[in-house]
Amino acid sequence: MNVSTQTWIVVADDPAVSGLVTTARGLGGAVSAVVVGRKSVADSVARAGVDEVLWLGEPGDGAPVEAYAGEVARVLAEAGAAPLAVVGATTPAGRALLGAVAARFQVPVLAGLRGATLEGDAVVVERSVLGGIAERRVQVVGGPSVLAVAAGGVTDEGTAAAVREVPAQPLGAARVTDVRVKEQTGVDLGAARAVVAVGRGLKAQADLDLITDLAAAAGAELACSRPLAEGVDWVAKERYIGISGQHIAPELYVAVGISGQLQHMVGVRDAKVVVAINSDKAAPVFAQCDYGIVGDLYEVVPALAAALRAGS
Amino acid sequence: MKIVVAYKWAPNPQDAEVAPDGSVDWSRAKGAVSEYDPVAFEAARQLADATGGEVVGLTVGAASVDSPLARKAALSRGLDRLVVVADDRLADADGTRLAAVLAAAVRSIGDVDLVLAGDSSVDVAEGQVPMTLAGQLGWLGMAAVSGVTPSADGVVVERDLPGGITTLALTGPAVLAVTTDAVVPRVPGMKDILGAAKKPVEVVPLDALEVPDVVAATTLSGSRPETGNRRGVIIDGADASSAAAELVAALRTARAL
Amino acid sequence: MTASTQDAGEPEVDFDVVVVGSGPAGSVAAYRLAQAGLSVVLIERGEAPGSKNLSGGVLYGRVLDEVFPGFADEAPVERRITRHVTTFLTPDSSVGIDYAGRALAEPVNAVTVLRARFDPWLAGKAEEAGVFLMPGVRVDSLLTETGPDGATRVVGVQAGDDQLRARVVVAADGVNSFLARSIGLRRKEPTNHMAVGVKAVVKLPRGVIEDRFGVTGDEGAAHAIVGDCTLGIGGGGFLYTNTESLSLGVVLRLDDLVRSGRTAIEVFEHYSQHPGLAHYLRDGEIVEYGSHLVAEGGLAMVGEVATGGLVVVGEAAGLTINSGLTVRGMDLAIGSAIAASDAVAEAVAAGDVSAAGLAGYRRRLDASFVMQDMRTYAKAPAFLERTGMYGAYGELAASIFEGVFTLDGTPRKHLTKVAWEAFRRSPVRARQLVSDGWAGVKAL
Ligand SMILES: Cc1cc2nc3c(=O)[nH]c(=O)nc-3n(C[C@H](O)[C@H](O)[C@H](O)COP(=O)(O)OP(=O)(O)OC[C@H]3O[C@@H](n4cnc5c(N)ncnc54)[C@H](O)[C@@H]3O)c2cc1C
Ligand SMILES: Cc1cc2nc3c(=O)[nH]c(=O)nc-3n(C[C@H](O)[C@H](O)[C@H](O)COP(=O)(O)OP(=O)(O)OC[C@H]3O[C@@H](n4cnc5c(N)ncnc54)[C@H](O)[C@@H]3O)c2cc1C
Ligand SMILES: Nc1ncnc2c1ncn2[C@@H]1O[C@H](COP(=O)(O)O)[C@@H](O)[C@H]1O
Repeated sequence: MNVSTQTWIVVADDPAVSGLVTTARGLGGAVSAVVVGRKSVADSVARAGVDEVLWLGEPGDGAPVEAYAGEVARVLAEAGAAPLAVVGATTPAGRALLGAVAARFQVPVLAGLRGATLEGDAVVVERSVLGGIAERRVQVVGGPSVLAVAAGGVTDEGTAAAVREVPAQPLGAARVTDVRVKEQTGVDLGAARAVVAVGRGLKAQADLDLITDLAAAAGAELACSRPLAEGVDWVAKERYIGISGQHIAPELYVAVGISGQLQHMVGVRDAKVVVAINSDKAAPVFAQCDYGIVGDLYEVVPALAAALRAGS
Repeated sequence: MKIVVAYKWAPNPQDAEVAPDGSVDWSRAKGAVSEYDPVAFEAARQLADATGGEVVGLTVGAASVDSPLARKAALSRGLDRLVVVADDRLADADGTRLAAVLAAAVRSIGDVDLVLAGDSSVDVAEGQVPMTLAGQLGWLGMAAVSGVTPSADGVVVERDLPGGITTLALTGPAVLAVTTDAVVPRVPGMKDILGAAKKPVEVVPLDALEVPDVVAATTLSGSRPETGNRRGVIIDGADASSAAAELVAALRTARAL
Repeated sequence: MTASTQDAGEPEVDFDVVVVGSGPAGSVAAYRLAQAGLSVVLIERGEAPGSKNLSGGVLYGRVLDEVFPGFADEAPVERRITRHVTTFLTPDSSVGIDYAGRALAEPVNAVTVLRARFDPWLAGKAEEAGVFLMPGVRVDSLLTETGPDGATRVVGVQAGDDQLRARVVVAADGVNSFLARSIGLRRKEPTNHMAVGVKAVVKLPRGVIEDRFGVTGDEGAAHAIVGDCTLGIGGGGFLYTNTESLSLGVVLRLDDLVRSGRTAIEVFEHYSQHPGLAHYLRDGEIVEYGSHLVAEGGLAMVGEVATGGLVVVGEAAGLTINSGLTVRGMDLAIGSAIAASDAVAEAVAAGDVSAAGLAGYRRRLDASFVMQDMRTYAKAPAFLERTGMYGAYGELAASIFEGVFTLDGTPRKHLTKVAWEAFRRSPVRARQLVSDGWAGVKAL
């Protein structure tokens, strides 16, 4: 296959594309975007540092973003020489677009990205695999490198690239009938200097007050393990840490009543200092922390909040 | 309604050993139905029971995904029958190749209305296979599905998305990846396991399927991540306030506060 | 799957035999019962056989060779033991008595096994013989009925909401044997009948192991360690070679441990950092770690092993020997499984599975090497209560051997400094095993 120097980003109705653009720009060549979704999103992407935007038109008739995935892949395939790379987001809709692209070109999707560079005319990708237990340098020969990266935020470079509308035909299998808007937390855990996270050691939702109080005393954001966000719904989904949640690198991470499973801890691998509070001295989290207190969170957490306030 | 559930027989990377060159020794890690896939089994069962349909389990992978143990573990969780593609040529297959084989198997099963899958697998955990499978089939693929219920002319899909809880009416074929809170999976009892041994299993040879060629990534080198040597100072919390004071002092010294 | 020997008028059963627990005792019993033509289900609470079993040890293999001739060539065994070393440790020296010889390897006398690999193999043999293997199920209780003779007999098992009925239940559920206790065959053991074992698997390259232990090929060494390794607490240590790892552990008397106020893990840390072991362990990485109870009451602990509809085998029946230098249990478990399966097959064929009908098990057990060895070592527990074994004797031996042996001069770098760091880095699971083990200890 004839591979060009062209990199594409594929966007699923979400203006947060800084992560995609940064990765694509790092490969040197021209960067174009294919945008599914509202015109406002296409316009925003056009100002995010790309050279060109192809917009698949205003989604009609309640088609979900994913209904355009096949069309995104078609547009890329018909755009001339096969792209050097295609970059998308690890969000649910982002993965649907990347899946269609990967299937169209029959190439792997490379997630867990830690870096992607152009070496000669090939993209060399550093990625973390298998829940973060190993790392690999890989290369795809014979097709585009399809990369799944964290979406990042919204950026405005000041200048806008041209937005060109290309007609597209979504799959008609599903129609959105209702959207119940959730309370937006607007939290950016990635920017927090300190994070206090709580897990299944917490006995009742009402006891969250203890944890929020500790977070306040430490000047930290509140986070949690997955079971507290999915299933019991005690904490907003955007606040859970781990392989399928947020990856953060704060100065201080305090894990309260969290056992320390691989799938959770990989999300704080890059934290500077990790503190664990757990009543089970054999909890795996103690083997992965800088400081640990073996004790009942119901006693330790209030004492810690008091000690933090006393000293400041 | 004919529902296929794609599930993975996979070990937990937490039990694997990684050499400094990044190679992974799985010999201490045991295969199991990937932790969250039973949610998809249960969602499919409930949907099929409500619509009078059939639930077909489908897994593809190395020969080891088709042991008697593996069969019973899947079939005891509400499936009607099983289709497996077990071939050591798939031992190191990446997601796109697995999805290509899964798609070929779905086509060979025929008349499939819906494919359900887990949110992410315990070993790879990228949540990509179901979406690539949808791409291979040319079907609609949706992740973050938190509920699937029957309706008059199809199913109602609920999704928990950043933009809000979204409800969709689904009438065509689709691949849906369900989140862990969609339904509560059953814990198989002895009768379920005995019943599992009586259910049909179809072993489809890889060569009997029409699978397109898939480009695989070439590995140039590997490594074991340095997880930053953590200090591992453990404080006895029997006396909570002195433990707290000790910790705060240590954090101040380490300039973490 | 349906009962093969169902006679008209008899109560309906799901299987002729339910075996609970797929350790060596359960898998061998199930295998032999299936070979005898009975329908057998083998229930294991772990997700797979071996998944609840900690590392492994030395298996005295002759008895298994009877069941599976030439098993050592087929089974996932680690090494054939050709060197038995007894080491006395003082706080800063070690003296070893070495008994080596290829003669120990043929026919297979002792092999090292890792249970996570060995147990699935054994259970697989049972499955091949037609046993219905049912992992992931924890048996909650025995089903009992009052028989025509007025005696209570076991008629099946209950797990969750489900019941399975059988002519005979084989309790092979290990040291805590909740099943044997629930029917009154065993009492709650006093703590001086129990020991706690802490064990780690330390990974090292094959060649390094062979150099350090003076073995080649598939040969291996078994070290029994006494003296200053248990901080004066009754017990001993061991160090066995696997193919690419070492099994390192201590066995501690529970009453002594409780009295000392220390935790088993503290003692293990002291032991594994002992300069006398540093040479063997240097640069090793702990890949598995945990604790487990051992029955060590010897003969005194073996009580009734059968009642109506039930036989108890292996460690569930208290069949372990702690000689002070080694722990043996797997071979006794297999020996008892042979005796029990023969007796059960006979009783089922004769249509009498009452206590009297199953009495053949105890007779066979008494006549076998199992009870002979249990009697031979009957005094071991009392011997172990003499603490001199752990302190003064070691010092004495060392002073005798000093000058005779030039002690290893390699720099005594502490293993555990290295090992614990490695341990903290990766195998998180190991710590969880510890907590599982401790739950068992606390339950006593
Ligand atoms: C594919 C996949 C993806 C996953 N992704 C994620 C992810 O992104 N993020 C994530 O978090 N998980 C994830 N998980 C789940 C993960 O494997 C664990 O199940 C989860 O992290 C456990 O959460 P926990 O530590 O809160 O709960 P538990 O493991 O139940 O631990 C609770 C802890 O609280 C302690 N405790 C109890 N009472 C007290 C008390 N009074 N005081 C102090 N301590 C107490 C206990 O000792 C225990 O250690 C994933 C799993 C899979 C299979
Ligand atoms: C530290 C240590 C070192 C040892 N070293 C040696 C050695 O070198 N050589 C040696 O021969 N022996 C050794 N032993 C002893 C040996 O481990 C045991 O004697 C042996 O495992 C007994 O076998 P078993 O089949 O009776 O029981 P186990 O191997 O304990 O098997 C019992 C099985 O039953 C299952 N089970 C329990 N309850 C239930 C339930 N309710 N429902 C379903 N399943 C259940 C368990 O999960 C387990 O798989 C050692 C023991 C320890 C602790
Ligand atoms: N080899 C496979 N066979 C069948 N289903 C699979 C396979 N791999 C992944 N899946 C499905 O895809 C989901 C997500 O897996 P992954 O993309 O690996 O995170 C799993 O939960 C399964 O439902």
